Amino acid sequence: MNKTEYLTKLTNELGHMPYGDVKDIIGSIEEHFEEGMNEGRSEEEIAESLGDPKELAAEFKDGVKFKQIMKKRKMSDNFKGPDGRGRIFVVVFNAFVGIEMWLILLAAIVAAFMFLAGDAGIAGVIVAAIVMGKITEFLVPFIFLVLTLVCIAVFLVVLLILGIKYYIKGLKAYIRWNKNVWNYGLGED
Amino acid sequence: MCVLALLEKSDSYGYDLAGSLARKVEVADGTVYPILRKLASEGVVSTYLQESQNGPPRKYYHLTDAGRNKLNAEREEWIKFCGEVNEILEGETGGKADE
Repeated sequence: MNKTEYLTKLTNELGHMPYGDVKDIIGSIEEHFEEGMNEGRSEEEIAESLGDPKELAAEFKDGVKFKQIMKKRKMSDNFKGPDGRGRIFVVVFNAFVGIEMWLILLAAIVAAFMFLAGDAGIAGVIVAAIVMGKITEFLVPFIFLVLTLVCIAVFLVVLLILGIKYYIKGLKAYIRWNKNVWNYGLGED
Repeated sequence: MCVLALLEKSDSYGYDLAGSLARKVEVADGTVYPILRKLASEGVVSTYLQESQNGPPRKYYHLTDAGRNKLNAEREEWIKFCGEVNEILEGETGGKADE
């Protein structure tokens, strides 16, 4: 593993850490590489001695977790019963914006699946016609239509795979955010 | 604690600390960085940048007064603990020979 690969892997493993922290960490590891290379060591050698980037990231995240625990403890110290405004906000926001937003996204995904199913149906009919040897002048434009549809379908499948992945990710983050507001209020004060 | 002890002698930078630590204890070179970060966030070490003859400026770590106090307290505790463990171990080997 060379320097770039190591730093990329470390950045990925650090994941959701604030940008400033990641920049700081990557900076110090980059400095480590440069010092080592000044001594004539190879990038691979230095990466090897630094240890698994995944484990290193976990150690960095432990420090962050510690900070978060302290912050949470501080929050719960100030915490005098559930924040009424926070809870009202969660209910109102979900009723008027949140749930609708996720339903619309879900509907878009379902619609895409239905389009794919319809596409497959038309393609099936055409293929069946060809197999049975019933190619007529009438069918030729339809074949072009199906080819276009297949292209759109392939594009849609890619989009769907990405879409579903981010939909689930987003939904999880959204639920977490709701929980936080519900438990700790909006955190304005 | 080991990192604090290394910094007690003189200020140092990450690469040097990683080397000194990895030479004595069997840990990966990278391990020192999360420790330094945590120590910095606790305020027991402070950092400053200093130019080096060749290459980029180095981030130096300095033991603060709070760090010195922490180190002394931990060192005392560690030495006491080791003494107690040694007593137990020596007591067992030198004592009854039934097991």
